[in-house]
Amino acid sequence: MVLDSETKPSKYERFRIETEPAPHVFQIPNRFDVSARKVRLAAMLVHEAFEFKLNKEVVLSRPCIYGVFGGHFGGFKPLKHKCVGCMRCVQEYPHIMTVKQSDEYKRLGDSFWTPEAVFTILNEASTGKIPVKGMGYKGAFGGEGFDGIWTDMSEIVRPTRDGVYGREYISTCVDIGRKPTSVDFGRIDQSPSTVEVPVPIIFDDLPAFDFDVWNAVGKAARKVGTFFVTHDQTRGEDYRERMIPIVDDNSLDETLEKRPSIVEYDSERSDLFEKLSDSLPSSIVIARVPLREDTADRACKLAREGVHGLHLYADYHGQDYSGDPRHISESVKEVHQLLVKEGLRDQVTIIASGGITLAEHVPKAIICGADLVGIDTTVLVALQAEFLGETRDRNSYKLRPRKIDPAWGAQRLVNLFGVWHDQLIEILSAMGMRDVRRLRGDIGRSMMDAELREQSFKGIAWAT
Amino acid sequence: MGNLELIVEKHSERIHHGLEVLPTLRHGLPAGLGNKRWTAELILATYEMALTGDLPKNGLEYKIGDSGGGFDVLGWKNNGFPKIDEDDVDLSISLNKREVGKKIEIPLPIYGGGMSFGSISLNFMLARARAAKKIGTYTSTGEGGYPDAIVPYRDHVITQVATGMFGVREETIQYAPIVEFKYAQGAKPGLGGHLLADKVTSEVAKMRESSMFTSLYSPFPFHSVYSVEDHKKHVDWIKTVNPRALVSVKVSTPTDVDMVAIGSYYAGANIIHIDGGYGGTGAAPEIAKKNIAMPIEYAIPKVHDYLMSEGVRDQIVLIASGGIRTADDIAKAIALGADGCVVATAEAVAVGCTHCGNCERGRGCQVGITTTDPELSRLIEPEWGETRIVNLFTAWSKRLRSILAGFGLESVRDLRGRKDLLVRYK
Repeated sequence: MVLDSETKPSKYERFRIETEPAPHVFQIPNRFDVSARKVRLAAMLVHEAFEFKLNKEVVLSRPCIYGVFGGHFGGFKPLKHKCVGCMRCVQEYPHIMTVKQSDEYKRLGDSFWTPEAVFTILNEASTGKIPVKGMGYKGAFGGEGFDGIWTDMSEIVRPTRDGVYGREYISTCVDIGRKPTSVDFGRIDQSPSTVEVPVPIIFDDLPAFDFDVWNAVGKAARKVGTFFVTHDQTRGEDYRERMIPIVDDNSLDETLEKRPSIVEYDSERSDLFEKLSDSLPSSIVIARVPLREDTADRACKLAREGVHGLHLYADYHGQDYSGDPRHISESVKEVHQLLVKEGLRDQVTIIASGGITLAEHVPKAIICGADLVGIDTTVLVALQAEFLGETRDRNSYKLRPRKIDPAWGAQRLVNLFGVWHDQLIEILSAMGMRDVRRLRGDIGRSMMDAELREQSFKGIAWAT
Repeated sequence: MGNLELIVEKHSERIHHGLEVLPTLRHGLPAGLGNKRWTAELILATYEMALTGDLPKNGLEYKIGDSGGGFDVLGWKNNGFPKIDEDDVDLSISLNKREVGKKIEIPLPIYGGGMSFGSISLNFMLARARAAKKIGTYTSTGEGGYPDAIVPYRDHVITQVATGMFGVREETIQYAPIVEFKYAQGAKPGLGGHLLADKVTSEVAKMRESSMFTSLYSPFPFHSVYSVEDHKKHVDWIKTVNPRALVSVKVSTPTDVDMVAIGSYYAGANIIHIDGGYGGTGAAPEIAKKNIAMPIEYAIPKVHDYLMSEGVRDQIVLIASGGIRTADDIAKAIALGADGCVVATAEAVAVGCTHCGNCERGRGCQVGITTTDPELSRLIEPEWGETRIVNLFTAWSKRLRSILAGFGLESVRDLRGRKDLLVRYK
């Protein structure tokens, strides 16, 4: 007897975001600036010509394995874009060669966006590949905000080997929407169902409106299966099913007419919530809430009023709007923990935005209590926008989008999502976790710099 | 001599000369060299120590980096003048504290970490093995197998058994005075290993019993180990194949690293080797290196204190690795509770590594360390590399003796857990 399972092809399809190269369109600065003292270089060539008896192949064999001196003029006109900073030329000819970080590279970004972070995003968007390097970590020890959080790993007790290359599945899906605590048969057809996204990342409303960028975001959201938040719902019919409009008085009628599956509104406008929930019973209604000292209490109030989700946002540098600003990781944790304490947490979805600029910030924000995150300035960095100053303030952003081809832009954003998805899987895999939803608020699977420092260095006196 | 030989000789000579000249600062501090953990000064100081066997005398910083945390914010209490003669300080440690099994001592609280054949060149592997023999300590094969060329040094080579089981054979376990189980590594905790296809040359493929130029993955974790009892079976397996071997268990630093350590003790391990999240030499996703598992500075006291509280601390050796760059780091690790340290990156820096991290790019390391490129591999002559590594450890010994003599400690064993000798900087 032939079993059905042997005759029917499996419908199982492992979720994967297909990436493909989308090279930089606008020139990016060389990371390293390599230069030679020309007189000394000429003297060295003459010296080596004698030393190696005019053996051209030996004399002209270069100290660079990346081809920096492979141009017609060798070291006299090095191909700076090929320099990876390995320093071998300096090791061989310290009296001739200089390699330093280029001034253009050092000027990238702002006080929050370091040149390394900008380069990381540019390269992830361009290649769709996880950044890999050898010889250990090279940055600062721990730090503030997300830098002060390490994620756990499991030595032996874990269910599967997955990772990016594994055979088994780790789910990165999350649900957006309110989960009823009990079944109400009287409202069973009216309650909005949750919406699933395959990665815990959406596009937040962008600081600058540019139609091509907007198009690129829409295309990428559709391809990945995620959503994008926008103030402008007047265009982009192609992406309507992926759109989360932010509703205000001006756009209310249009929203009611177009009936999006998810809407956001300013949490100060409780009247809007009532109108939206009454008129759009099938839509998921999310309150946009700026993170402040009192946000945890406010979040509980909103959850009790029946909102389906809270979109908590900090400024673009990840600092909240408290009198004494805290990092978003702290303020989201506070909101999450109070909702848990009040028994409300499972009734609302938390989206965290502001300062989510690197792949590692996604699992860390989720550990702090978010269900998913929104990205903003990162989108523009991936699309090679220009920094014009400090990008911190949501109302006076300093990132100028360039003129782009939306298809190119969409591929860059798909690549970014693909790489971040792979890195999220790496983090979950190391923890032996098969579902990102289990990570939410699981502080126990993280390690905090400040706490560990006090525990481990207890008994060590301060230097006087 | 053919042109290829001439070219290799030319560049080797130039590199050697550069490693000699750069620490003099005659041409200034190279602007593009180094990073927060391995600063330019620390790299140049390591070159200098590898050249002279002595501590730098021109003011180069050789004690700490600029990471702003961990070892870099710890210092020593001001202890005035040396209280005992430095020559009277004993730096040896035992690698077996149990009553049974072979007693092995090493003259320094240091041995070499696992770097596999394939991820590094055979010449560098040989340099490390020769140096270990000369010093009387050990180096580890990593998980890439046991090349015939290092068999003559087998009394100083630890055979690593990792999840991919590459090159693990009965004879390589029987060779080994110490067998190291690698459950995880600091470079990519919880992620297993990945040797890129370009590095899987015919020799590497033969050693690992795989196909040429095909990426090789070490799975994670050991699929035969999901409990301390399973782990004990592993230990028993090794002790059956080679009853003389000591067993080391290399793990990373999760939240429950203390529980892992006690589990290893009860499974019969002689050495618990904890590898912190910031270290490692292997190519790894940047996200893993920075974010997964805790730094070694925090893990050492956690494990040491727990083993103390369980009353077994004096029956198991605690070895720390993952970001140990200097003699001061070693002494601080011991003061935090370790018995000794494993180093690998510092050995690479001794032979010219610039910590640039391009190990996996193109043909591999530009100075012949992490490469299987036939031309680049020859830039490190094993004898030269041996001398550099021995010199580095000699210089480190001087610094360790100086620290201990300053506190009037006659043995490095007396430094263990002496957090009271450390101070913190803001």
